[in-house]
Amino acid sequence: MRHLHVYILLAVAVLALAYAPRVNPYWMHVAIIAMFYGILASSWSLLAGYAGLFSLGHMAFASIGGYASALLVQWYGIPIPLGMAAGVALCCALGGLIGWVCLRMSGPYLAIFTLGFAEIVRITFSTEDDITAGMAGLHTEPLFRAATRLPYFYTAFGLLVVSLALMGAIVQSRWGLFLRAIREDEQAAAASGIDVARFRILAFAIASGFAGLAGGFYGHYIGILTPSLGGLDLMAVLVVMAVIGGMERLPTAVGGAFAVEFLLELLREYGQWRLPIFGVILLLTMRFARNGLLTPFWLHFVRLGGGARGAAAVVAPGRKDSRA
Amino acid sequence: MSWDYLFIQAANGAVIGIIYALIAVGVTLIFSILKIVNFAHGDLYMLGGYCAYYVITLFGVPPLPAMFVSMAALFTIAIILERLLLTPLYSDATERKDEYGLIVTFGLAFFLRNIAIIAFGPFPLKPPSFISGVQHFGNLIVTNDRLFAGSAGIVLILALLYFMHRTIWGQALDAVSQSREAAAIVGINPRRFNSFAFGVGAALAAAAGALIAPIFSLAPDMGVLPNIQAYVIVILGGMGSVLGSIIAGIALGESEGLFTAFFPDPTRALAYTNAFGVLVLMIVLIFRPNGLFGRRHLRME
Repeated sequence: MRHLHVYILLAVAVLALAYAPRVNPYWMHVAIIAMFYGILASSWSLLAGYAGLFSLGHMAFASIGGYASALLVQWYGIPIPLGMAAGVALCCALGGLIGWVCLRMSGPYLAIFTLGFAEIVRITFSTEDDITAGMAGLHTEPLFRAATRLPYFYTAFGLLVVSLALMGAIVQSRWGLFLRAIREDEQAAAASGIDVARFRILAFAIASGFAGLAGGFYGHYIGILTPSLGGLDLMAVLVVMAVIGGMERLPTAVGGAFAVEFLLELLREYGQWRLPIFGVILLLTMRFARNGLLTPFWLHFVRLGGGARGAAAVVAPGRKDSRA
Repeated sequence: MSWDYLFIQAANGAVIGIIYALIAVGVTLIFSILKIVNFAHGDLYMLGGYCAYYVITLFGVPPLPAMFVSMAALFTIAIILERLLLTPLYSDATERKDEYGLIVTFGLAFFLRNIAIIAFGPFPLKPPSFISGVQHFGNLIVTNDRLFAGSAGIVLILALLYFMHRTIWGQALDAVSQSREAAAIVGINPRRFNSFAFGVGAALAAAAGALIAPIFSLAPDMGVLPNIQAYVIVILGGMGSVLGSIIAGIALGESEGLFTAFFPDPTRALAYTNAFGVLVLMIVLIFRPNGLFGRRHLRME
């Protein structure tokens, strides 16, 4: 069977959807949040893993998307999906703008710049409290007036699948190849005829749009938004998720988000110790298994039905898997 | 707004600026030898502050010796961390080293900040003063701690300058920063000096943390903003120019102080003062995107 892994994933998805009504509300909440992080981790991996643009402003875009949607719904009474769409559009535009402004910045400078952007967004949201309610939190309209979390679960699932499908299509296309070429060597990519500026801006706009989508959904699901959504701590958690899973592939980044989110809940009794533990895991992953802990499993999984040819096709676009 | 208020803001700005410069000099040193931007530098500064605090409160050591203990402790800790985490930076098998350095130091910062919350608690702590009391300059009142922090900061920076220019280890550091290969040929072990530079940078940050602790309080997230301010100073002041760092540090401290004084809405002035430094950084990066330092041969590969 050629695409065995696809069928297995479909079967798991169908099982998850069918089983969902019987999951208790607590774990359903965890699953919804995991899917929220899944969208963020995969879009960040598109930006940082594929294009090599290590942005630390990704959670800031989620925060902007969430606040934009919540405030538009609150002020103008527009339907929530429209508000979320407006949030996505705003994040795309702002992301593109940031991408354009930092076109000439490489590696660490881009990280510093986007970190600065995120801090300014966070400070503004918490200081302009007559608009955003500041640290007290902005109450948002719920997406569904249902007694259970089931509709949210299905919505989150749908958003994750659609996001992954769209981003998957992008990274499988020539665009994905261009992005990786830019990551490996910008000058060589430009010399090969890739419009580096265009694709750097595009990568920022697309990834920020998905971050805004996740943020918009989060706001209307949780019912309250605080500026800490865009803070450095959640950004670090996002980096932990994507790097532990494997930031150079979308599925492994999502897997990392799921694994870390569920582990954070399972290890709740360890309280504050969980974050430094994940910090250590992040450092160990970077030090000894830089491609991510889930990447080898994912490669084996993809190879299940495809044989050697499939495996070669999967391995080739990435980087060498052996490194010191 | 009275002149006195402005003068107090200006005096405070100068002290904060010197402390920023002390942190920035460490960032510069680490960058010039290891070729990485250290995202965890602010957290080493935080650890230094706490270390001094516990040496003072647990062992009853006076504040000044406690500062030196803290510097020594952070020097050691930093060398251990560098050995454990940063050695892949020197291996040819590692691809895209700046990405590696970035994620590892960012992860280290996350780890240190969260371990600090557990170890030291989330609440602000304040160690005793170096020298209690205040000085009057006309109507202007400056606490002795601020005077001490400013002068000690300058002394430490001068000591570093002396060390870099007049001692053989400092010359060796300089040699490694110019060319690792050439340094290795004349018998300098670049690896050893990588560790050493990281340790010295951390020790300077620790001193800054210990000096600032009696003025502001210690908190686990106190390193985030000074880390960003340090980048501003390094960019504005120019690579390797310690004098430039001091001037840029004071300029930043002053402009922050004046920004607070002149911001139209006093209830929001403090919050936006933090954003102000960040905004300066972003604007400077837009015009100097090629790096913190501009010197071509030091650009990260």
